[in-house]
Amino acid sequence: MSLALTDDEARPVEARSASAAPRSAGSGPDRPRADRPRPGALRRVAARTPIWFLVPAAGLLGGLAIYPLIVLVRMSLSDVGPTNIIGEWPAVGVDNFVAAFGDAELWAAIWRTLVVAAVLLVSNFVLGFAAASVLSAGGRVTEAVLALLVFVWALPPIVSGSTWKFLLDDSGPINTAIAALGLPTVSWLSSPDLALYSVAAIIAWAALPFSILVIRGGLLAVSPELIEAAALDGAGFWRTQVRIVLPLIRPTLGILAILTVLYAFKSFDFFYVTTQGGPGTTTTTLPVLSYQLAFNDFQMSEGATVALIAMLAVAIFAVPYVRAVRREEAGS
Amino acid sequence: MITHRTRRWFRFIAALLGLVYLVPMIWVVLTSLKTKQEVLKDPNGLVFTPTLDTYAEVVGDGIGAILTSLQIAVAVTGVVLLLAVPAAFALARRISRRWGIVIAVVLAALLVLQMVPQPMTVIPLYSVLASWGLLGSLGGLILADIALLLPFAIMLLRPFVLAIPPSVYEAAELDGAGRWQTFRRIAVPMLGNGIVTVLAIVFISVWGEFVYAINFLPQGVVLPVSGLLAQQSSVYSTEWNSLMALAVITSLPLLLVFLISQKRLISGLALGAVK
Repeated sequence: MSLALTDDEARPVEARSASAAPRSAGSGPDRPRADRPRPGALRRVAARTPIWFLVPAAGLLGGLAIYPLIVLVRMSLSDVGPTNIIGEWPAVGVDNFVAAFGDAELWAAIWRTLVVAAVLLVSNFVLGFAAASVLSAGGRVTEAVLALLVFVWALPPIVSGSTWKFLLDDSGPINTAIAALGLPTVSWLSSPDLALYSVAAIIAWAALPFSILVIRGGLLAVSPELIEAAALDGAGFWRTQVRIVLPLIRPTLGILAILTVLYAFKSFDFFYVTTQGGPGTTTTTLPVLSYQLAFNDFQMSEGATVALIAMLAVAIFAVPYVRAVRREEAGS
Repeated sequence: MITHRTRRWFRFIAALLGLVYLVPMIWVVLTSLKTKQEVLKDPNGLVFTPTLDTYAEVVGDGIGAILTSLQIAVAVTGVVLLLAVPAAFALARRISRRWGIVIAVVLAALLVLQMVPQPMTVIPLYSVLASWGLLGSLGGLILADIALLLPFAIMLLRPFVLAIPPSVYEAAELDGAGRWQTFRRIAVPMLGNGIVTVLAIVFISVWGEFVYAINFLPQGVVLPVSGLLAQQSSVYSTEWNSLMALAVITSLPLLLVFLISQKRLISGLALGAVK
């Protein structure tokens, strides 16, 4: 999950005073300074802008981040299998997409991804808001819990995933505890009906600290006067939180909602470690399906097609996200 | 307002929340301190003599994995910083309107790149690396990891550069310092906090990365620790003690950073980007 909460973006006044560039005066190309020789076009750009500071990073990302996305699109429009990963890719038009959308397994995977997204949304918002409210009071216990949350949030998903695989094992600590209470044990990760919800809960556990920290950041920015005024009017704590504070932090919550849904479409590590998409295909979400098609069956084209379908969903959410981040930056 | 009684309730709920996160961690550490026999006999017993045998065994068998992890993490972190610091510098200096447009476009691209799910980049990267002859080499994996973490590192560093007042640059330029000198002598020394934060976070992330590692490294080559953990926990295994020891080793850099400078990590993450 990523959220860039940078503060400064548009500061035209400062930028204008900081730049000696003769932007307003120049008609046509900017006048070179008299004391400098007239260099080539690129060098002139380099003299005015820090472009060379950006080129190495941009070059690498162009080759290893943007170019692969183009390859992904080409793959989905070709027939690439185990034999021709290196070699000719016969073009097949949109056949892969037609086949994918005609496959019930894709729709099932989309449905499972949405289930995970729904679980995450409920957890991140309901539990996240409640916990953030409780944790905005301060104190030593709060500090310790916050530190722990930061730790869990930075924990590699592979670690939290294997931790929960152990805890939820059929004869693991949780089932042992349940048995000790005299209750029937639960096949958390091996029951076809339950596994998806168990993994969703694991992801929710891992994602909740992020949500708490983001919401808490929003809560702390709300002016205390407003809350005091509400208290003087006799509103209780939770009433104030829901009626007054919640609407005030709506921009933060908007970004969080987008990131939460994105997270569901991204989550793969947890499934890989805990269930590998099983039992059967009951926990095969979109990212799991595309990975398995590509790397278990080596149907690269089919994997790429599912990946692109998932990315399409990501893109639908990406547009408002980028807008919201930019608005947030411009506003603060 | 929060009354005295609600405050007590809050402390109780906060502690409860803490336990939900603390108990699993403790269980992991406890299990990693058991022997194989103890795990087989009574996997969830609380009465046992803690021993470091499992760690000795895991580290003994997995010293190659730890070395691979170190190689990858050091190389990736180094290159990411070398590329990200100048890029963040360039993206934080609004010197003209046209450059402002460049910044806006690049930032939007970085945001989008950060959002592309890794399972989706692993498929095309597999073929890209293969066609460049880099598949199945440490170099190829390192390049892929760099591309994965670079957007994040730039976005995380940029606010630190923005925090440097423009007047500092102006003063340097009045003194006749070129752009490179401004960068080297002024910006980099002032970015100490940001660089350390990014270094720590990138290192932690690479150390825990496994999707690229298990696909881009050749068969038979020693996997990094994270890859080993992924491989072993994805197959059915009852040797929870060694699995949990591996999990602890996989979170070791995080643990270290956290113990050394928890405050800096928190404030760095809060200031910059949130993973």
